[in-house]
Amino acid sequence: MHEIAIVENTFKIILEVARREKLSKIRRVNFLIGEMHAIVPGIFHHAFESAALNTIAENAELNLEIEPIKMRCRQCGHEFIIKDSEYKCNECKSYDLDLQSGKELTIKSIEGE
Amino acid sequence: MEIKIMRNVLDKNQNKADEIRQLLQEKQITMFNFISSPGSGKTTILELICQKFAQKTRLGIIEGDAYTDRDAKRLAIYDVPVVQINTEGTCHLDSHSINKALEQFNLDDLDIIIVENVGNLICPTAFDLGEHYRIAVVSTTEGDDKPIKYPMLFRESHAVILNKTDLIPYTNFSMEQFNKDLKTLNGKIPIFNISSTKKNGLNALMEWFGKRFSRVAEL
Repeated sequence: MHEIAIVENTFKIILEVARREKLSKIRRVNFLIGEMHAIVPGIFHHAFESAALNTIAENAELNLEIEPIKMRCRQCGHEFIIKDSEYKCNECKSYDLDLQSGKELTIKSIEGE
Repeated sequence: MEIKIMRNVLDKNQNKADEIRQLLQEKQITMFNFISSPGSGKTTILELICQKFAQKTRLGIIEGDAYTDRDAKRLAIYDVPVVQINTEGTCHLDSHSINKALEQFNLDDLDIIIVENVGNLICPTAFDLGEHYRIAVVSTTEGDDKPIKYPMLFRESHAVILNKTDLIPYTNFSMEQFNKDLKTLNGKIPIFNISSTKKNGLNALMEWFGKRFSRVAEL
């Protein structure tokens, strides 16, 4: 369900940017989502298509890039990607980790004319 | 042509949440955000907190529900100010709705605000409300796999309340698995095993809240 709230906010931002940049058509939206948000891409695409109807972004392509959860171990400095929700350093086994990436909800850019 | 944006989609929510935290700091109020699935026992736990603390602590409650004011009515009998937010079907509270709710309190009369979020383990996690403490509530009947299925909530919470421990014999809930997964996700998080109906395990939980109610949270 949060896919819909995220898409609604996305449209507020991209339509505002398009207006400011005087775009008449948005062809593509480049989006970066951290894996931690547990977004279901299918629902996200569907919500995006619905929100785009009757706007200048109708039929725009949604490019969804998923950023893996990356941690840095505070004990040994090792950087690694979290797999299977195992939040433990795979070098020194410490649980003391610092999030490096994986929580993004970023509109990177839009393409259009 | 490509136009760079590089903006967090929820930046407006984040900005408002930061403003709220600032306001609460000025008013010396500590805010808690309770997140759980529907039916895990959040409102019952809030009732127990009211019974224990309403007389001696200046509590206020924000009730988030998709529909109805039933939960707010359950809590109103404790003579604490309760503000109801109906999200009209939306699955989470956001900082703008909290800001509006805060306007309905006299903040100078409060030390603690508890927000009961809409029952949902995913969506509320993405929306910072300006709270100081996030509390995850789960119940044994939901299964022991909730932490591992919803890692973000358990990574970012300050305490976990496991409710309905009296029902474990009737489920396939494994306490060992639950604790193991939680340790992997968030090694330092305090876990309170309780039964809100049988009143088991409440002392440790109330002691934890008592400590946090008696001092102002630091930013």
